[in-house]
Amino acid sequence: MSTPEPARLKVSDHRPSMWRNLSLVWLVPLLALVVSLGIAWKSYSDRGELVYITFENASGIVANETTLRYRDVVIGRVEEVGFAPDLSKVSVAVRVDKDIAPFLDEDAAFWVVRPEVSAQGISGLSTVLSGVYIAGAWDQTPGVAQTLFVGTDRPPLVQPGRDGRRITLRTEDGRMITEGAPVLFRGIEVGRLEHPRLTVSGNSIVVDAFIDAPHDRRITSATRFWDSSGFTVSFGAEGLSLDVESLASLVSGGIQFDSVFEGGRPVNSSAVFDIYPDESTARRTAFSRSLAGGVAVSVAFGESVAGLSSGAAVKLGGIKVGEVDSLTASIQSDTADADVRLVAKLLLQPSLLGLPRGAGEEDVLNFLEQAVDGGLRARLASAGLLSPELMVELVRLDNPEAAQFDRTAEPYPELPSTASDLPDFTATAEGAMERISQLPVEELMAQAISTLSSIEALASADSTRQVPAAAVALLEDTRALVSDPGTRALPGELHATVVDLRAILTELQQGRAVANLTTALEQGSAAATDFATASNELPALVDDLRTLAAKANSLEAEELIRSVSQLMDSADAVIGTQEARTLPAALSDALGEMRRTLAELREGGLVENANATMASARDAADAVASATEGLPQLASRLERLVAQSEDLIASYGGRSTFNSETLDALREVKSAARAVSQLARKIERDPNSLVFGR
Amino acid sequence: MEPPENSQQYLTAAEAGLVGCRACGTVAPRGTRVCPCCQSRLEFSETASLQRVWAWLIAGLIAYIPANIYPMLRTVTFGRASENTLMGGILELLHHGSYGVAFIVFFASIVIPIAKFLAIAFLALSVRKPPTLDTHGRLLLYEVVEFIGRWSMIDVFVVAILTALVQLDFAAAISPGIAAVSFALSVAFTMLAAQSFDPRLMWLAEKRDES
Repeated sequence: MSTPEPARLKVSDHRPSMWRNLSLVWLVPLLALVVSLGIAWKSYSDRGELVYITFENASGIVANETTLRYRDVVIGRVEEVGFAPDLSKVSVAVRVDKDIAPFLDEDAAFWVVRPEVSAQGISGLSTVLSGVYIAGAWDQTPGVAQTLFVGTDRPPLVQPGRDGRRITLRTEDGRMITEGAPVLFRGIEVGRLEHPRLTVSGNSIVVDAFIDAPHDRRITSATRFWDSSGFTVSFGAEGLSLDVESLASLVSGGIQFDSVFEGGRPVNSSAVFDIYPDESTARRTAFSRSLAGGVAVSVAFGESVAGLSSGAAVKLGGIKVGEVDSLTASIQSDTADADVRLVAKLLLQPSLLGLPRGAGEEDVLNFLEQAVDGGLRARLASAGLLSPELMVELVRLDNPEAAQFDRTAEPYPELPSTASDLPDFTATAEGAMERISQLPVEELMAQAISTLSSIEALASADSTRQVPAAAVALLEDTRALVSDPGTRALPGELHATVVDLRAILTELQQGRAVANLTTALEQGSAAATDFATASNELPALVDDLRTLAAKANSLEAEELIRSVSQLMDSADAVIGTQEARTLPAALSDALGEMRRTLAELREGGLVENANATMASARDAADAVASATEGLPQLASRLERLVAQSEDLIASYGGRSTFNSETLDALREVKSAARAVSQLARKIERDPNSLVFGR
Repeated sequence: MEPPENSQQYLTAAEAGLVGCRACGTVAPRGTRVCPCCQSRLEFSETASLQRVWAWLIAGLIAYIPANIYPMLRTVTFGRASENTLMGGILELLHHGSYGVAFIVFFASIVIPIAKFLAIAFLALSVRKPPTLDTHGRLLLYEVVEFIGRWSMIDVFVVAILTALVQLDFAAAISPGIAAVSFALSVAFTMLAAQSFDPRLMWLAEKRDES
């Protein structure tokens, strides 16, 4: 028995061909390879185009994170953030989707979208947390693709491919023109201003504005632009009115436009428009263009036309019918004395005069001729309450001076003018001031002083002082005369005469000749007549005495008064006596002399004149004093008024405190906005700090 | 058990005309197709085994390339997306000072897979070529490779867990990238490669060298 031994089997050393025994498991790496290569090929072929966009800085742009978006769809991703060769810019390499790349031609615009708080609102808020992204815009037609672009920090105001029209605006005051400010049409935003820039000469500012379609059709040659920044204050008959524009235009300014007349022509794209300071100015300029076909007439004014300027309104019944085109002085040499006339050339608009559309120059002139016959005249009028400017007013006067509408006048038909009745406050005030200043106050005072000194000299003169004494002496004499026995004997003599007469009559009765009697009668009659004459003079005497008394009273001479009263008494006594009726002519003579003396006194008129002069002087002085008292008041009121108007006027202008305050406020708003944007940027750079409080 | 120095005296199953079952260890007469004990296939083909090893190994290598190139994780934090590749993530961890984590990740997803590729390739080659390492050393290497293979999945597990947990809508969200799938495939392929390797080939080769 032998130990069972495993049979020695022949183990074949044969190795079958490797290919025959190829295992199916090789399919696995093959498949993996194919899939891997497939993925690799796909991702390579889908890689897209690499474009380079340069920016001023790469704030917020992170390689492999920041996306490129078109209409807010991600179409690419930043691959690399580097520098331009000279380090002047940041060059951002962006991988753009293949199917988008052909659209990136020369009009493509790229900008960085960041959170931004501006007067127009808050934008890019989503980027606060997600980080900034690059946005692009281009038109809808593929062009010659480019790979180098220049990006901006802010979105272009007008994105490529947008319909509209770009126009150029020109202004001299760029303070209220800011980039991105709205362009408004009747308060609706229809466009935006682009970056304002100075002209080469530096004396004006031009800014491009893009007006969106379809509003760009409204831009014609009749369009006027004006600054509507913020608000307007107007002060008129209706009172004070304050118009405030939208907040955006309040903060960043705005330009308003409108068509100021019908039938403007379309403008080409390179049109330049002026920006007027306000709407009324803008509208006024319409005339200078639209009056090209206006009818020219001239008006010669006989007064100063200071304040009337080219462009001033011509109004008929308060409605503007034209405007002053030019002002010239012409010498009228046809008259003997050459006179300078101030001639204004007016341009009248037929349609505004109420004439039918299509009325020609002839119609206007016919109308004017008719109207002038009916009393129409041109005159200067104040353009406003506080305005020193003048305008030409066509008024219909009731009783005008005869004048003709001179159609043959050269160079233009001449409209007769009339003197203006300027209800001009300033003129009136000026006139009053002028008159006051022209009052001969000093001369008057000098004259008053000299008059008073003359009176004083007269009163203190010896001769004047002797006047009462002389009068007293005269009265004494009179009294002496009256009380003279001779005088008193007069009645007795008369009586004797009568007795004689009676004796004569008795003789006559006893048989004398009739002729004697007649003679005697005639003599008696003459005597009676004489007496009557004497009696007639008595009232005159009384009058004279009264006058004398009045004068004497005013002389304040007591003696004189007393004497006069004595004289009166005496005179009364004399008159009261029966004998007075038989006063002799001597008395008459004495009285006549006295009257002459008094008349002389009166003629001298010293006292009266002095009084009158004094009174006048005092009146004048009073008037001057009151006028002088009123002066400071008037002056201060004028000052206040002027100050107020200055304030008011100044508040129209841009350089007022109000504006500066507004600007200050704006600055504060801007700084606040900056702070907010800083905060936003910080958050955006480090969103974790928000989450983790770090 | 005989020490390795006396290896000249052992008898292999193949020499005895038997074939052993890799699953339960039962030997059966050569030619038996199915294990009489555990019913698993009794197949012994040197060529087929090595072919499978190489195939799986190459597949794993192919899968390992995108696993390194493509992003592993896609993290969205506050709307900001960031993608990290395997190596990028490690560098970022290093950058943030997490050296330990960085080392673990680096070890699990770079060192181990590469070491495994090398080890399996070495083992597969050593069947044909004269070994520089003795058979016992190679067996130890094989067992280490087999054992450590599953730990390479740690990266995939991390991605899977993070993806499942961190879905906080806007604040943060994590999603797996292509690399995660590739890496998982790569690990799976190398594990399959390791498993396809029949350690008996080492002994066979040893015998062959002796004879």
